[in-house]
Amino acid sequence: MLEVNTLRKSFSGFRAVNGAQLDVQKGEIVAVIGPNGAGKTTLFNLITGIIKPDSGQVFFKGEDITGFPPHVICRKRLTRSFQVVNIFQRLSAFENVQGSVLARERRTWNMFTPSRKLVVDETNRILESVGLAGKAQQVGGELSHGDRKVLEIAMALAGNPEFLILDEPTAGMSLEETQRCIELIKDLWKVFGLTILFCEHDMELVFSISNRIMVMVHGATVIQGTCDEVRRNREVQNAYLGGSDPCLM
Amino acid sequence: MLRNILSGKGHLLAYIGIASLLLPPFFAPRFYVYLMSLVLLYGLFATSLNVVLGYGGIYQFGHAIFFGAGAYGSALVITKAGLSPWLGFIAGPIVSALLSLIVGLICIRLSKLYFGMLQISLSFLLWVIICRWQDFTGGDNGIIGIPVPDIISSPNNAYYFTLLATAASLFVAHRIIRSPFGSLLQGTRDNPVRCEMIGVNVRAHQFAALIVSGFFAGVAGVLFVVVNNAVFPDMLFWTLGMEAMIMCLLGGMHTFMGPMLGAGLIVVLRTLITSYTVYWGLCLGIVLMAVIFFLPDGVLGHFNKPGGRRPDMVTG
Amino acid sequence: MIGAFMACTVASALGGGATGFWPALIAAPLGVAVLSLAIERSVFQYLYEREHLTLILVTFAFSLVMGDLVKLVWGTQYKSISLPHGFEGFVTLFGGLPFPKYSMFLLAMGPLVALGLWLLVKKTKMGKIALAAAVDREMVEAVGVNVSVVFGMVFVIGCLLAGLGGALIAPTVNVALGMDHSLLMDGFLIVIIGGLGNIWGALLGALIFGLAQSLGILISPQFGVVFPYLSVIIVLLSRPRGLLKSTW
Repeated sequence: MLEVNTLRKSFSGFRAVNGAQLDVQKGEIVAVIGPNGAGKTTLFNLITGIIKPDSGQVFFKGEDITGFPPHVICRKRLTRSFQVVNIFQRLSAFENVQGSVLARERRTWNMFTPSRKLVVDETNRILESVGLAGKAQQVGGELSHGDRKVLEIAMALAGNPEFLILDEPTAGMSLEETQRCIELIKDLWKVFGLTILFCEHDMELVFSISNRIMVMVHGATVIQGTCDEVRRNREVQNAYLGGSDPCLM
Repeated sequence: MLRNILSGKGHLLAYIGIASLLLPPFFAPRFYVYLMSLVLLYGLFATSLNVVLGYGGIYQFGHAIFFGAGAYGSALVITKAGLSPWLGFIAGPIVSALLSLIVGLICIRLSKLYFGMLQISLSFLLWVIICRWQDFTGGDNGIIGIPVPDIISSPNNAYYFTLLATAASLFVAHRIIRSPFGSLLQGTRDNPVRCEMIGVNVRAHQFAALIVSGFFAGVAGVLFVVVNNAVFPDMLFWTLGMEAMIMCLLGGMHTFMGPMLGAGLIVVLRTLITSYTVYWGLCLGIVLMAVIFFLPDGVLGHFNKPGGRRPDMVTG
Repeated sequence: MIGAFMACTVASALGGGATGFWPALIAAPLGVAVLSLAIERSVFQYLYEREHLTLILVTFAFSLVMGDLVKLVWGTQYKSISLPHGFEGFVTLFGGLPFPKYSMFLLAMGPLVALGLWLLVKKTKMGKIALAAAVDREMVEAVGVNVSVVFGMVFVIGCLLAGLGGALIAPTVNVALGMDHSLLMDGFLIVIIGGLGNIWGALLGALIFGLAQSLGILISPQFGVVFPYLSVIIVLLSRPRGLLKSTW
């Protein structure tokens, strides 16, 4: 469903992404892991159109979407949540999701109907599915960190995606919140049938729910394979044992 | 908003408010009626700026040209083309909306500061052209003695017309702010990346906001013609746009009626102070600094602080 | 503008014109620097953390206040100062073109000041700290530098140079109110087309701006003033971030 071919991106000489390869089949959950600074978020930014690659291609559902602007990619039903919480702080949780739904329905050009009356049911449905129904009226800035990350996911869901990209969804969450998030991701995959691509530092999480894993080091793909294949791979062992992440083994 | 006002104790407030707007021409001296007209039209001018500034987060430094364009557009249509003043009044906002379309196309690719600077350049360009083109635009002196329809030529009637036009414009602008368009516009101000990622074409929305803003500034410009029967090149000069910004800031950039309040305060202050001293610039500068330090949310913003009441989104 | 006015005052106090010029050239920028220090310490230093729009508006507020203060102190009439000894008159260039000597002096001063500034920024420790602080203030503070003082110094140096500019240009124009408005905007535009934060960019921008103005007036006396702004528009459209590399 998603295919990434030798993607490259440099920032003033620093090679953030240096030949990344990725493929995700429909209905899979694929994780991208790698030491800090490996280029995972940049990769996601390249896929979702927030930055343009220097070379390489991105294919989604067979179509070349390399370099397309984010809002176009979103319309193709590939949405994402951000690592650094990126919600509308001044608006309530409800309004955050409502805005996303309105955007998906292309009703953002409507200048004459008061927005509070629109898409209420749909918005509530989404809030319920992520477990935020009780906090719908709370202002984004006031939600707990874990809730904000879940709200991120809700907003990505509002785009009615087929493919969901989650950038470190459990970063900064407490144990309990992480558990709930994992359950949510599993639900999204099984019940809603979404194809999911995510990146994480929590290895336990990664190995427990992913079908396949892609490992990135210094901006390049080292290997993409099943959990076992990755565990056994020598390069991966070197990268991690020599580096920052002690959780792998 | 209206519903809140018209229920409960809001009733009394509403009646006082409406009365204070409708009655003055009957007993107040001509000058005060004139002053109120000015407050209204500058309030509309400031509100039009706030559409893109407060709600859209766009640094529209050159806003004055849309005001001037509306005024000059209608003035020129009336005086040069010899058409009916009513046509001139309609032409004004159309001209300013067109201008904001062109300016928007040129500037939209830039962000924040650069956008503002480019706009100032463009506005300066326009100002110089209008100043130098004596034959067509009256140059430095502007155009005076523009004929307006008899029915609105007296100060009182001009006032009512201004009141009507301003109220109508504010109503429409308010609707727009509360619509999905308005909500997402605020979204583009707070978090443009997020907006892109939920499918909103940020640039396109900003562009549309610019045109809306330009249109209403043009309406304000036309009202200036109605009230003063004249136009001057200074209406296009960028410092007028800065004054409008100060009005927005003073009244509250993130509230709807804030700019109106700010305009009222500034116009009244200016009239008072310039009658005593020539140092209006000094006072304005001090006012601005006081606002920035002590009232960063503006007067209305201060009273409307989130944590309880939240401006515009839910209650409007 | 204040630099220009101060220069006039100092020069006339010292017996006017020719001999008074050089002391004025030193005194005026210093005077401006002192004034700017006062302003910065009292007002600006509290504002660095606010968003850009606020800073711009405060600067505008100050220009309003200062404009009127200048009116208060110096009155509303034009002032003037005459050229220094030895710089009056013309120099003949190739082909017999008379070129004002003072203009040559100014032509030399521009790049000289730019060079000095560049050295300051690139070679001194303070310059590097200032650059770093502009990009990431928190980080610089975390390593123990008093960023507030650094910003303050940067501010004062900038104002000092502005004052110098004012004093330098004083002999060639009418020193009057309102010169600040057009200069403010022109200055901003020049810096932007050159690339924010890039000193050579400012020089280049000024060059383009000035040339456009002169050419413009030559081509069309009535509308010539428009040319520099046209060039700004052209530059910004083709290179939205300015001509040379900016630090923003």
